Amino acid sequence: MIDRHDVMRMARLARLELSEEEIDQYQEDLMRFLRSGQKLQQVDVAEVEGTSHAVHVAHELRPDQVGTSLRQEAVLSLGPRVEQGFFRVPRIVEGQE
Amino acid sequence: MSKVSKGVLGMANYDTVIGLEIHVALLTDSKFLCSCSTAFGAPPNSQCCPVCLGLPGSLPTINEKAVECATKAGLALNCQINLFSKFDRKNYFYPDLPKAYQITQDAYPLCSRGFLDYYVDDQLVRTEITRIHMEEEAGKLIHSGSSIVSSDYSLVDYNRAGIALIEIVTAPDIHHPGQARLFVEQLRLLLSYIGVSDTKMEEGSLRVDANISLKPKDSDLLGTKVEIKNLNSFRALEKALEYEVSRQGEILDQGGTIRQESRTWDDRAGRTMSMRSKGDAPDYRLFPEPDLPPLCLEPAWVESIRASIPELPLERLGRLEEQFGLSRYEATFFVHYPDFCQIFFDLAEYDLSPKAIVNFLMGDYARLARERGHLDARRIAGLLTIVKEGLIGANQEGVVLDALFSSEKSAREIVKEQGLEALRDSTELQGVVDGVLTANPDLVARFRSGESKLLGYFVGQVMRATRGKADPEVVNKLLEEALS
Amino acid sequence: MKELIQSLDVREVSAQEIVQHHLEEIAQHDPGIHAFITVDQEGALRQADDADRRRAQGQALSPFDGIPIAVKDNISTKGLRTTCGSRMLEDYVPLFDATVISRLRRAGLVLVGKTNLDEFAMGSSTEYSAFGVTHNPHDHSRVPGGSSGGSAAAVAAGEVPWSLGTDTGGSIRQPASFCGVVGLKPTYGWVSRYGVVALAPSLDQVGPMAKRVEDAAALFALIAGNDPRDATSAKAPSFQVPAWDPEVLRDLRVGVPEEFFSAGLDSQVEHAVRGCLRQLEDQGAVLQPLSLATNAYAIDTYLTLVTAEASSCLARYDGVRYGKRVEAEDSNTMFAKSRSAGFGSEVKRRIMLGTYVLSANHYEAYYEQAQKVRTLIKEDVLDALSQVDVIITPTTPTAAFQIGAKRDPLEMYLSDLFTAMANLSGIPALSVPCGLNSHGLPMGIQIMGGNFSEALLFQVGYMIEQGVEGSARHGQL
Ligand SMILES: [Mg+2]
Ligand SMILES: [Zn+2]
Repeated sequence: MIDRHDVMRMARLARLELSEEEIDQYQEDLMRFLRSGQKLQQVDVAEVEGTSHAVHVAHELRPDQVGTSLRQEAVLSLGPRVEQGFFRVPRIVEGQE
Repeated sequence: MSKVSKGVLGMANYDTVIGLEIHVALLTDSKFLCSCSTAFGAPPNSQCCPVCLGLPGSLPTINEKAVECATKAGLALNCQINLFSKFDRKNYFYPDLPKAYQITQDAYPLCSRGFLDYYVDDQLVRTEITRIHMEEEAGKLIHSGSSIVSSDYSLVDYNRAGIALIEIVTAPDIHHPGQARLFVEQLRLLLSYIGVSDTKMEEGSLRVDANISLKPKDSDLLGTKVEIKNLNSFRALEKALEYEVSRQGEILDQGGTIRQESRTWDDRAGRTMSMRSKGDAPDYRLFPEPDLPPLCLEPAWVESIRASIPELPLERLGRLEEQFGLSRYEATFFVHYPDFCQIFFDLAEYDLSPKAIVNFLMGDYARLARERGHLDARRIAGLLTIVKEGLIGANQEGVVLDALFSSEKSAREIVKEQGLEALRDSTELQGVVDGVLTANPDLVARFRSGESKLLGYFVGQVMRATRGKADPEVVNKLLEEALS
Repeated sequence: MKELIQSLDVREVSAQEIVQHHLEEIAQHDPGIHAFITVDQEGALRQADDADRRRAQGQALSPFDGIPIAVKDNISTKGLRTTCGSRMLEDYVPLFDATVISRLRRAGLVLVGKTNLDEFAMGSSTEYSAFGVTHNPHDHSRVPGGSSGGSAAAVAAGEVPWSLGTDTGGSIRQPASFCGVVGLKPTYGWVSRYGVVALAPSLDQVGPMAKRVEDAAALFALIAGNDPRDATSAKAPSFQVPAWDPEVLRDLRVGVPEEFFSAGLDSQVEHAVRGCLRQLEDQGAVLQPLSLATNAYAIDTYLTLVTAEASSCLARYDGVRYGKRVEAEDSNTMFAKSRSAGFGSEVKRRIMLGTYVLSANHYEAYYEQAQKVRTLIKEDVLDALSQVDVIITPTTPTAAFQIGAKRDPLEMYLSDLFTAMANLSGIPALSVPCGLNSHGLPMGIQIMGGNFSEALLFQVGYMIEQGVEGSARHGQL
């Protein structure tokens, strides 16, 4: 039920470059994972609200006060490729997912 | 697509359907999810912290003022404010997006179901607002070449990343490019009235994405929509939509089909261009943001925001027309220039006619005030009052006005100091009139023989002799008597 | 620990000496165990020196000023490399401290190093670290458990007196159980996650690991508390270490869920846990059999949620701002090449699964469904906890397995069978050693309770610890 195309599409979405062997491997893993997860599908969840947070916490908002930022040198010190105060990235090709 | 000219033949056969998504940067001191400054124009990557850089382990916290601004915008746009709203992650990779997801509101936005009324050719129309949600801004890209596609590389500045935005989504009920422009103009004005955004399109504080489709006039089926991204001026908005109306109309005329896609507006070329070269529709894998609990607002808090909303543009237009009898043109001027409008309201407190105030404010004063800043309403009222009383003639008004701008003195003091009071004492003026007539016996003769337009010349001479202070009415009367 | 603090207090020994001693232990044992990715010898000695100076001036920051600690390498430490066990971050040096680290520093603790883990905390054996496998101190051919395997092994081997781990589905309790130490997964929200590299934010918690229950409680008191930088942080008061009074067991209602004692449970583990339960009963506790039927769904629910959240949390590693980068012609290819080079195979596997369950056509059937089942699991647990004070189970179905024994990822995922439920429902869970099996391998017992019931869990854990030690002495006699 999951073909190589699905796997390749997921890899594209996740920006992973996979070898042929990896594609085969993840295709199998995905299938097995979904098969084992079949029993979840059978649980009756009509009228059940999903849980996205383990414990309910009231949202405490932050006052609009400017705090200290990092120094530019510190920020750029992490960058694999920086130039004139900026991070540099190669050509941006539009149109991939 | 070949060059498309305006007014394609078949266009009359289609209805245009336009929906807008407007991103507005909120006027907060610190960013949406961290406390970095939002100030414009700082050196690149100097207003960043672990949160807005998406450093491993950093976590977002919501700025209260951003929620306040978004709520205010929702209320001003007649929306329902949802006391319970949630945040979601929109996942996609792009160099300007530090976490590779945008924190936004998808399933449960802060505001829903509102509307904005505005004038299109003297006709009041309404556009539905489907929803308003909060989200974070991305960083800024600078391209090495002239455009994104022609650049070998790009540079990224994350100063802007994480600034609070609202996205205002309209229903697809806008019918032509000009209307889209008027809608956004009115929206922008409204947002500046309530003070939630500086709405500077040139700095990217207000950006429009437009969805546009054409459908045959006799059809109920909507056409395929095309999204035009990132329109950041009114001109670009209108031109891009006009271009799309033509482009899509021509394709449909030729029996073609419209491709559902995103396009950008190339201002220099004057056309829209496809952004998507290949691939499937984006799959953003939206899911609830686990780092932020839902937002639960108190009704009393929402009411306190509602109470803080000032008079909005459309209300104000109505009041200027109805209460003060201004024309649509005059009222529109004041609605668009709230600073002038405030002075108008202040002056209206004095015993002055609205007409006189409007004429004054929209006259020379407007130019001077733009150059040098506004005068105190009290001092303007002083000037308009002595004009009304006839203390000075119309000719002296400009002189006094100039002096008001360059000193702290009142109009009365200026008039007194410079001796600008109007001369209307008959005996005093009689001498001047007599002098002028005595000096021009030939002209007096010609006047008497029928050249009645010479009266103006005599008036001018009297005015000149009195440095413009003579009351024209009195001068006219005395001249007529002397010449009859 | 008590003795250590006392000797520091009377200046019998200096922080320098204590830290030096532990550095020597590390030098001696760690080549065989490999609990550490980074040991900060210089920094540790400097911090110890500062602590000694403070103590000399009577200005100790806390009773623990100068006591060494190790921290799992997915917790950000300013100026000290934080790798998450990944090639992706092998050179990443954080610009800020996690809130838990700030809290430790405020108490004067000496950070001696960063411990090994499964890459980005994805695993149950600490075999999936880019920096090599960690070995179980009790048997070097076996795994220490994971993903906080380094933190558990370091404590078990005496390299540090205590440590911090993180727990998303059992990553503190399972290695604690395998290594014979105490480990707590706190109530969700009681410990700040700020600066803790996310695996699955709705499940992750930082917790203490120590040889003794008392020490784990003392360490928990140092790290627990509200943090305005974490919006999911609870507005709970700070944690107070409880009195160790056997009276706590009188009429204590102990729930024993039958599902955790069924097929698949190692008989020696069952025997040890039931022994502890009997002892509790002897001391006044009331055992109540109960059912937690939804645990049958816990692993699949957990995996769906954890992979989904992880696929999103790990998207930021794109080679632009920090971390590994492999150059390419265009940005998308650079992203893909950098990520493929930086992530190991288990991380990629989970990203693939997570991307799948979140993608447009599968979201409803998988992710949303799992969130709803999570609600049922949470209700099941809270319902049980309305009838009993604590729930006691084995921590893991078996003792530590051999390195390399679990090649199949799905089999590995079953390591969290007894522990994931606490993460899914948010409740606290404590693992305490409950004896050694016939191979001399430690086994663990898990105590779960309602939200913010940590004090009770520690008290019960303390009584179990006393009982286990008592019988061990008995056995030896
Ligand atoms: Mg948006
Ligand atoms: Zn920031």
